[in-house]
Amino acid sequence: MPAHFPRSPVRITLLALGIATGLAIGSLSGSAQEGPALGTSKNDGGGAPAQNDAPSPDRLIDVPMVNLTPGAVDVRPKLAIPNLDADAAQRGLQYFTNFNCVGCHMPNGGGGMGPALSFRPFIYGDRPENIYLSIHQGRPNGMPAWGTVIPEKLIWDLVAYVRNMSQAPAQEWGTTTSKTSPAIEQVPKEFKPATAQPWNYTQKFSSGQAPNP
Amino acid sequence: MLCRLGRCLPCAALLLLTVPVCAAVDAPAPSSSPDAPAPSAPAPSGTGAPPAIEQLVGDKNNWGMAAKDYANTRYSELDQINASNVSQLQVAWMFSLGPARGQEAAPLAIDGVVYVVAPYAGPNPNQVFALDLASGDLKWSYAPKPNAAAAGIACCDVVSRGLAYDKGKIFLNTLDGYSVAIDAATGKELWHTRLGDINKGETITMAPVVVKGKVLVGNSGGEYGARGWLAAVDENSGKILWRAYSTGPDSEVLIGSDFKAPYAWMSGKDMGVKSWPPDKWKVGGGNAWGWISYDPELNLIYYGTGNPGAWNHETRPGDNLWSCAIFARNPDTGMAKWAYQIGPHDLWDYDEINENVLVDLPLNNQVRKVLIHPGRNGYMYVLDRATGEVLSADAFDTVNTISSIDLKSGRPVLNDSLTPHVGRTVRNVCPASPGAKDWQPSAWSPRTKLLYVPHQHLCMNFLTGDVGYIAGTPYVGAEVDMFSGPGGHRGEFMAWNPVEKKKVWAITEQLPVWSGALVTKGDIVFYGTMDRWFKAVDANSGKVLWQFRAGSGFIGQPTTFAGADGRQYVAIMSGVGGWSGAIAVAKIDPRVRNGALGFTGAMQDLPAYTAGGATLLVFALPTNKRDTADIAAPPK
Repeated sequence: MPAHFPRSPVRITLLALGIATGLAIGSLSGSAQEGPALGTSKNDGGGAPAQNDAPSPDRLIDVPMVNLTPGAVDVRPKLAIPNLDADAAQRGLQYFTNFNCVGCHMPNGGGGMGPALSFRPFIYGDRPENIYLSIHQGRPNGMPAWGTVIPEKLIWDLVAYVRNMSQAPAQEWGTTTSKTSPAIEQVPKEFKPATAQPWNYTQKFSSGQAPNP
Repeated sequence: MLCRLGRCLPCAALLLLTVPVCAAVDAPAPSSSPDAPAPSAPAPSGTGAPPAIEQLVGDKNNWGMAAKDYANTRYSELDQINASNVSQLQVAWMFSLGPARGQEAAPLAIDGVVYVVAPYAGPNPNQVFALDLASGDLKWSYAPKPNAAAAGIACCDVVSRGLAYDKGKIFLNTLDGYSVAIDAATGKELWHTRLGDINKGETITMAPVVVKGKVLVGNSGGEYGARGWLAAVDENSGKILWRAYSTGPDSEVLIGSDFKAPYAWMSGKDMGVKSWPPDKWKVGGGNAWGWISYDPELNLIYYGTGNPGAWNHETRPGDNLWSCAIFARNPDTGMAKWAYQIGPHDLWDYDEINENVLVDLPLNNQVRKVLIHPGRNGYMYVLDRATGEVLSADAFDTVNTISSIDLKSGRPVLNDSLTPHVGRTVRNVCPASPGAKDWQPSAWSPRTKLLYVPHQHLCMNFLTGDVGYIAGTPYVGAEVDMFSGPGGHRGEFMAWNPVEKKKVWAITEQLPVWSGALVTKGDIVFYGTMDRWFKAVDANSGKVLWQFRAGSGFIGQPTTFAGADGRQYVAIMSGVGGWSGAIAVAKIDPRVRNGALGFTGAMQDLPAYTAGGATLLVFALPTNKRDTADIAAPPK
């Protein structure tokens, strides 16, 4: 049975690390909205307390990873998804660094050791519940299983951030690559302080030359 | 019969060919069965016994280790292919290894059999293939038991840099941390030993080297805070004989009374502990993921160590010994004789795992036993290989991070205005994190006395941030954005004179030159480009004499050897990838410059030049009687 609260020493250690680093960075960046990690419901004017909305494990187990089902019926369970608002995404941005997600998926989800999260579709599904399960369970080819070491609510905050950063502007149904395409790139992170909406800042594609924001 | 396959030409018939191998071809009769493991080239010993690596390193017909010889010269005495005929070079045969990820491995060739290893991807990660040199027939393959999760612990694509060979055994390192011995004749597994643990961030990507019956293997994982080590494994039993860590107390670094550091600042007890904040050496990297050379006279092996963890230097005040260093060790015991730290307190991820080429140079009217180390920091180091003393160190590319190397202290003189601090972007840092040169090995010709160096030409913006250690996850704390260096190009292939300490010629390349180099007695230098050209260049002038457009970009290591047919072959793998080329083979967004540890910025247009590949290419001159189509024909 999945653990929902930190009871292993590993989880407590990681949680302490995440919170400690998170608070340190949060205070540096002047953000007053850094959420406490656990067990606190937070009403921020319009958003429902996210913790209460999380779907139960017996519902999540029915979430398909694929869009092919025998019998051609829609088997996706109707889930109540936690509030994935801007505050959740902002917290997710912080956890993305605290839990070293950024080390594999790279700043703004550009991809490296792990696949890019800056555009969709995702290999293991891009619906919030798919992303939640990918983080919770881990995935083949190198995604660690985080579900038993960090709390559920933090994972949903990561889902909110991942959903946000994957919103690359769609120019076509597929993807053309040529000497003149793509046309744009993101303003790189060294010129744009951490944002949960990195695709709001773009510039002309640089073709390997120095960026000119 | 081998002769039926169209390659068993009598030496006398090879009118154009003057390879001395022919003189010895009278010894072993070709096997009557294509499947028989009998050698199709003469064994150097003249007996039927499988050759030892000590013999192979001096045998021009075979290529027995990735770097060709213990001195790591990548120089071949073969001269059948030369300036007069290289323009006729043709594909003799090809083989696809399967997974279209970075093909960095060196093809080996021993007694008429070619051995190659695939990257860690697909249904059979790190699969090893043995192919008949004459026919291209697949003799056997061996696939280690896979562990897909290892791919998530590999910083820079899922590459292997190659195999090793000794006395009838092939030695394989797997990305997920095993060392394996395989019977070279049959492909049967002889032993496997677990050396590393992916849950501690350890992987293995380097090509092992066999010295005196010991398989020398080092770990990767500098981006995961994995503590670096080099291990010696008994080639017969798979038993670990010694393991020397790069950080920590002298007892674990294998530093004893015989050790002498070349400079006072790195001398003292337990410097691998004292030069770190408390316990940080345990997650301090310094991985031995590059090349190993060996001087039998001094009985010393030489290898470099990688970057300290994390990249954010403010997490680790101190010199961080022995990361970014060169070790000289006794291969029998592992005990260090000397060590020299090139990059005290590394700021930029300048691993110093690059090759150490062992040559004797006339310096100040005296022949010195030196090692040449083309540093990732952009300086060409020449060290006394008996003591580790720096004899010279000169910049070979654009460098603004280090203004000079102080030859009195051996320390780099840093440009302090560039020192990163958390939250402050440092702009236009040269060279970028992969350095002016990364793992891609250079070649040394004793004829021209030049070192042929493939390298990149990149600068970067660099921003450090807070990072905490979680075992098995990246431990970096830096956001990097690379781009072309001054002039707009991103790579160069150059010839360097280490006595005169200057560049003799250089070929500018649009993209980083991420393939290794090969030089021959025919005075031809070979290298490949990421935009799919395999090139043959005049070793004296740098003039391009021949080039071949392949299916995918080159990041592999060219090798050369001769068959029983008396022909000289040149082999390289085509298949882009690696740290620089991962963007063309993995799900990496070219529009997000900080991806791939910052390499995306410099390589964002690579997918417009190449896609992935997995092809072993074997080239030879056409014979005067048969064309290459006949040579590639299957047995009747």
